[in-house]
Amino acid sequence: MKGFEAKGGYAVAELDEEERAVVARIVADVGLLLGGAAFGMEHTTRDDGERYQDDVFAALRGLEDALAEPEDPAVLRLLPNAAPTDREVADEFRRLTETDLRGHKVARLRQMWEQLSGDEDEWVIARDDALPTAAALTDVRLVLASRLELRTDDDAERLHAEIDAATSADDGSVAPNIDRERVWLGMLYQALTWLQETLVEYVALGDGDRHE
Amino acid sequence: MEPREEQEREGGVKTRPDDAWVTIVWNDPVNLMSYVTQVFQRHFGLSRAEAEHKMREVHELGKSILSSGGREKVEVDVQAMHGYGLWATMQRSGE
Repeated sequence: MKGFEAKGGYAVAELDEEERAVVARIVADVGLLLGGAAFGMEHTTRDDGERYQDDVFAALRGLEDALAEPEDPAVLRLLPNAAPTDREVADEFRRLTETDLRGHKVARLRQMWEQLSGDEDEWVIARDDALPTAAALTDVRLVLASRLELRTDDDAERLHAEIDAATSADDGSVAPNIDRERVWLGMLYQALTWLQETLVEYVALGDGDRHE
Repeated sequence: MEPREEQEREGGVKTRPDDAWVTIVWNDPVNLMSYVTQVFQRHFGLSRAEAEHKMREVHELGKSILSSGGREKVEVDVQAMHGYGLWATMQRSGE
């Protein structure tokens, strides 16, 4: 895996086939969590009518769920309570915004999934898509962090120490008393964090007068 | 960093049309400092230095007020922050 670098006006990272498959899988999972249709299960070519239908169904689903706070803590982190001390404000906010937010996040994840589902090792992102892609990576990291129960900065530090301890064996094997799934998810979290860091660095370069 | 830890006093204050609201962004262990700075620059139109100052407040004090105004304006800001995956809440100013 190579992090994002500026190349010809684009941000370009490199992920081999296995890395792309792992990242695409978790991206699709987060899309499902948010109530999106399964990525890759749609028709490969879609006309506007189909898109419109998708939008209508998504909006209907949004209406049903509009006032209910998500039960899954990971989904609640993606669609948080906007006013924890004022139920009326929180409900009104959810009613007004949740359908849009879900649709926005799912569309961003779907685009990322499509980019990762090609045959190329290079992951190419246009400048205008760089920050939205970083935002989609945040959503994926938020879900992983929820599953890993990272609630404080100290929890995150502990996870890094756990992974270091679990993977420090000379032969690269995972120590036997370790929760393998947690270590695996944790390493995926770290990899996505690093990818996001390099992408945000790219965005920050475009801040000033600097041009490539 | 958890908004729930800060239980605001719920008085019997009536909502007035001129009530000012504030957007609060809370610290979380996931979002990168560089990312939060970019988001503050992009959405609130802050300079790099201003955005970094606000980001440090969030990181070190646990929260920062990013905007204020009427309820609808603050709703837009909070929704945008949620769009970016930041943990934002709204409340009447002074609560």
